[in-house]
Amino acid sequence: MTTESTHRQYAIEEYLVTSEPYYEPLNDEVALFEAAYAEKIPVLLKGPTGCGKTRFVEYMAYKLGRPVTVMRNSADGSKNGEESGMPLITVACHEDLTASDLVGRYLLEGDSTRWMDGPLTRAAKVGAICYLDEIVEARKDTTVLIHPLTDHRRLLPIEKLGQIVEARDGFILVISYNPGYQSALKDLKHSTRQRFMAIEFGYPPRELEAKIIAKEANISEAIGLELAKLGEKVRHLKEHGLAEGVSTRLLIYAGKLMHEGISPRRACQVAVTWALTDDADVQRSIEEVVSSIFE
Amino acid sequence: MSRQRKRIYSSYEKKLTPFSTSLVAEFRRAADEIGDLMSDDELRAWADQGLDLARQSWRSWEAAGEYYRVTPQVLPLLGSVGFQRWAKHGLDLAELSSALAASFFRASPVTLPAITPARIGDWVGLGRLLYKGTWRSASLAVQFFDGSPALFAKLSAEEARILVRFVDALCDRSYDLASHCLTIAAQALEPLEGDDRSAFLTFAESLASTGWADARSYLEKGPALLASIQAMQRGRFLNLARELARREGRQAFAFFAEASRALAQVDQESHGLLLSLAEELVERSPLAAMEFLKTAPMALERIPIETIAEWHAEGSALLDQSSDGGEAYFRMESSRGEDMLEALSSRVELSRISDILRMYSKALTGFEVAVHSSEALAEKGIGWVEGDAPSTEGSAIFLPPHVEEFQDKDQNFGVYKVYCTHQAGHLEFGTFEFEFERDGAIFPTERIKAEAERPPPEPAPPIDTDGHVDAPGEVTPPPGPLTDMERFFDIFADRKLASDLFAIVEDARIDVLISREYGGIRRQYGDRQSRELDRRPEASQLPVRQAFVENLVRASLGGRDRIVWPGQLMPVMIEAIGVLETLQQPQALVEDSAEATLRLYRLAEGIANVMPEMLEDWAEMSEGDLNVSPMSAESLGNDAQVDMPQGEPMPYESPQPVDFRGEFKPETVQMLMKLRQERDEKGQASPISPEQLKQMLEKSVEITIADMAQADLTQSSELFLTNLIKELNQKQDQRPGKEQPMPTEDGQPVTGMSTGDDEHELPVEPKYFFYDEWDFRAGDYRPRWCRIVESPVAEGQTSYYEQTLAKYSSLVAQTQRQFELLRPEMYRKTKRLLDGEDLDFDAVTEFAIERRARVTPNPKIYWRRNKIERDVSVAFLLDMSASTDEEIAKHERRYQKDDFDDDPRRYFSWWMARRAQELLTPPKRIIDVEKESIVLLITALEAIGDDYGIYGFSGYGRDNVEFYVVKDLDEALSDRVKKRIDKIAPVRSTRMGPAIRHATAKLEAHDSKVRILFLVSDGRPQDHGYGRDRTEKEYAIHDTHMALMEAKRKGMVPFCLTVDRYGHDYLKQMCQDIGYEVVPDIESLPSRITTLYRQLTT
Repeated sequence: MTTESTHRQYAIEEYLVTSEPYYEPLNDEVALFEAAYAEKIPVLLKGPTGCGKTRFVEYMAYKLGRPVTVMRNSADGSKNGEESGMPLITVACHEDLTASDLVGRYLLEGDSTRWMDGPLTRAAKVGAICYLDEIVEARKDTTVLIHPLTDHRRLLPIEKLGQIVEARDGFILVISYNPGYQSALKDLKHSTRQRFMAIEFGYPPRELEAKIIAKEANISEAIGLELAKLGEKVRHLKEHGLAEGVSTRLLIYAGKLMHEGISPRRACQVAVTWALTDDADVQRSIEEVVSSIFE
Repeated sequence: MSRQRKRIYSSYEKKLTPFSTSLVAEFRRAADEIGDLMSDDELRAWADQGLDLARQSWRSWEAAGEYYRVTPQVLPLLGSVGFQRWAKHGLDLAELSSALAASFFRASPVTLPAITPARIGDWVGLGRLLYKGTWRSASLAVQFFDGSPALFAKLSAEEARILVRFVDALCDRSYDLASHCLTIAAQALEPLEGDDRSAFLTFAESLASTGWADARSYLEKGPALLASIQAMQRGRFLNLARELARREGRQAFAFFAEASRALAQVDQESHGLLLSLAEELVERSPLAAMEFLKTAPMALERIPIETIAEWHAEGSALLDQSSDGGEAYFRMESSRGEDMLEALSSRVELSRISDILRMYSKALTGFEVAVHSSEALAEKGIGWVEGDAPSTEGSAIFLPPHVEEFQDKDQNFGVYKVYCTHQAGHLEFGTFEFEFERDGAIFPTERIKAEAERPPPEPAPPIDTDGHVDAPGEVTPPPGPLTDMERFFDIFADRKLASDLFAIVEDARIDVLISREYGGIRRQYGDRQSRELDRRPEASQLPVRQAFVENLVRASLGGRDRIVWPGQLMPVMIEAIGVLETLQQPQALVEDSAEATLRLYRLAEGIANVMPEMLEDWAEMSEGDLNVSPMSAESLGNDAQVDMPQGEPMPYESPQPVDFRGEFKPETVQMLMKLRQERDEKGQASPISPEQLKQMLEKSVEITIADMAQADLTQSSELFLTNLIKELNQKQDQRPGKEQPMPTEDGQPVTGMSTGDDEHELPVEPKYFFYDEWDFRAGDYRPRWCRIVESPVAEGQTSYYEQTLAKYSSLVAQTQRQFELLRPEMYRKTKRLLDGEDLDFDAVTEFAIERRARVTPNPKIYWRRNKIERDVSVAFLLDMSASTDEEIAKHERRYQKDDFDDDPRRYFSWWMARRAQELLTPPKRIIDVEKESIVLLITALEAIGDDYGIYGFSGYGRDNVEFYVVKDLDEALSDRVKKRIDKIAPVRSTRMGPAIRHATAKLEAHDSKVRILFLVSDGRPQDHGYGRDRTEKEYAIHDTHMALMEAKRKGMVPFCLTVDRYGHDYLKQMCQDIGYEVVPDIESLPSRITTLYRQLTT
């Protein structure tokens, strides 16, 4: 275990890990994840956007003694994490994500080329949690790549190098996806999804969500409760004008705005209503709910 | 009498005798009377004149007789000089017609005093004007003179002149009409005053030349219509009407009538303003002016009179640009007029906000809640009667059709919001989930004990619904209660009182929960409550038990300080308020409301409903009175005994309803919900037995079926049951509709009556959608002009589909192959990228060379594979108009299909005749080719994997545009679809615009990168009312063009294909830069359509 490099990571991403990430368990997901980790079972996190999947992984990483580092894989492909040598990695998947973005590629350096490990390769080598966020967004040919890593073999073939990397002990693959809004075309392949155990996430119940909002936005529990109530009401509109219910994240934003002195109705308008939809009628309906709840 | 005189007399008598003895008599009688006033010469001259008259023609002695007869009356009026002139007129008339002269003389004595002697000439002139030398004209002129006494008694000379001109003008058309009008004129004009008459007549004159057929109606009905207009303004109105008649001709009377009826609906005070506004328009368009008056009452319903000028100004400006546009605006047939009105109006229409409230209620409750107008609920006939009170029947919220309580739109919306929130509260907080045996959260349960203690109901008489008598000795026990609510109310002897009490406490509970849950609406809610409090009736005027209930209503509205109650009964009231307030806690459940009802009922029972005078010291309760020590829920409502005055109790009446709480029928709602649930579980919607229903109707105080009191109970319960089952089935059929994406904007589905039926299935409820239509003349949309009726095509056999495939097997195989080839290669390699999957060796080499050569190297050295996705959806829109029934061979000859469009019966007889003849060898029709093309297309589309929908359209008239679904966009190809293809058949007309709009809405809801709207037709668009008249083609083409442009603007790719070989004529105009093609050889359609589609999508 390369504790030194781990430590270095800690330093860079200090804001994430100096303290324990705030996470309120909804259920037994913490125990489940720990068990999966112990048994090296890859984990699929399902749930709507902004319900806390990423936060959960961060929390688990912390809990399991492994900080998570975020590496956004930007579309233009420029490598922004190469010098860091990250051991533990989150990859936000997008539709142009190719196999080499995960595994690695040759870079031109002077007159010669240099091989650069991709995030997945690094994770496998150092034995980290590799979190592929929104996996269905990635191209199907890309997702196939993770198959050998997810079964008993725990191998990552690197075609271009003619190598096979054996995943280190601590390595675990976590993927997430939102079953709500993807079209049937973007559904996860069965050959892929049947390699994971799945933990389903939903929005927390009103009281719990109120607590989360209050804590995250640093507002009173009472306002948190009102926001949680708003969330609950707006989520009723899913599939009835809204493709997706309001996320806890947005509710926290609204709470934060209120914390900064923005009036509640206005805060909800910008952080909830307008963020959710462009449809004027739906906006109006949500605003009416807001104005029924907040003065 | 002198001898001289006698001689004169006898000589004239002799001369007159040959004509008629009666003439002689008239002569003598007159001579005797006037003899003394005349000299002999004068007398002779007078007698001679008569004689001349008598000699003029064969029957002119009659005129002479009249002449003599009236002389004694006329002479004193005119004096001798005037008399001579008068006689001369008579003689002149006699030259034309003796009858004319006779009637002239006859009418003179009464008429002359009404006109000045100087105007005799004018009078005669009018009569002469009417006389044209024919006998009909003569009789009209005679009628004129005969009617003159009555006429001039009422009309001035000037008015008479106009009347005659009017009658004269009518003569050109019809003497009967002219004569009739002349007859009724005097009486018709009677009610009018002063200048109105001439204005009235002047308009009549204009009418005579333009819409003469209406003249009679005008005379008959005009004055009455006019009477509804403010007296000072009638003249102005008539001038407007005349201007319209002058400029527009024919329809002037219709406009006159409609506009005056419209004005009758408006406060007379406003007539002046409205007419001034109309006058502003008349110069530019009299039509617009009248349209403005016609729509005024409708506009005034929505906006106050102060703002109508603003609405008018907008239309007036529009009129400057285009007269058609302005007229459509004032006719309320343009979106702009509607929008403007909406903008100016403070009234809030439910139809405009029902979507918002629906989503709002959905958000609040989490249930599928529809929002409809209360009128719709009342019409269902399932127990609700109020058309403007908010209510709910468990699955939908019903609200008044509009609210205009305030000057401000937002405030009016606020009223709606409170209404809606309260009803949603019933759903959200479980009012209808009442369970008899479930405990509440506050009060201990006493219901069950109370039920047991209830005296057993009297055995119901044997129920006999359809005349059959139950077997003797077999007494059927009365059916148990249907719902828990019913069971609960069964406890009480006075069900009405119990029901009222329950409504009060349950509404109070909901109000409390709402203000706890929704802090933001608390203020509005409080406003409504205090408004309601202000309009409560005086409690001290009510019989005492009612006053008790009334006070509870007040307390529930937060008006404890408004309680008025006799001091001696104070403990009861305090106890009751205690019960209510104990209930008003956030944790209260509906069962607590029931328990509270039970306790309040006991208290109320102890209060006799005697007149208030029997008690003294009615006083407002002070806070001190109510500051009772907190009681435990256990002890409440059980121990307040007071001495009641003895007296004759009044029948109990329910309290005045609280507006924002609306109608509340928990028993009925629970029954409906139960039926719905059973239906969903069993798929059947009649689990209720007539006995149960009848019993419920007898018991329930909630259900008031119109005139049920008189009607036979069995009959009304049957009606109720029918309505109920209809309601339930309707709901069931709606359900599949929910899965469909709802078209946005104007395409809002509305459900309606069920039509059509199939042997195997329940009647399919068509879905209704409304769309605007483009009026190219007005340059604006006509709002909600067309109604689309969407329904699936009936199902036939799949064999048709199979046979067609077999028939075209080679073509099928070929297209299938072609389309499979179209499936895109999944990936395409793109080179020269800044970043990619891997280094591109060539690019790297170049890079290295450039670096060595000290040139700035090109950093694009990567390649990557890009995925190419085909993401196409297409809606095929098939013309199913009657003309597609045309055989192909005949079509080549092309008949004028317009011939039949006007007269469906003629078309049908022709069609039937031909059908019979062709039964043996059915020739191929256009629709057959269309169907075959569809089959082929399906195989092609399945091969390529595009999403596709197949729709047909037809219809007749704007409110019945039929839209048939063969296969919906998100429906998979199934046997049902194949069966439907079999049943595609020609129907009626071709109104393309709305069909295109509907298909666009469907495509819009479908998420695809490429969306194609493929229109297949056999001719130009045409329909009843699709244009100014039947021959006009411009309108239809413009609307269709507009619909296609809308589709294009929304990102669709519209394409028109027609098999009308003359299609180039109009397609060019209709499609302009939109792709179209004319397939001259119809038989090639199947192969052509697939080829076209391929080209269109690659």
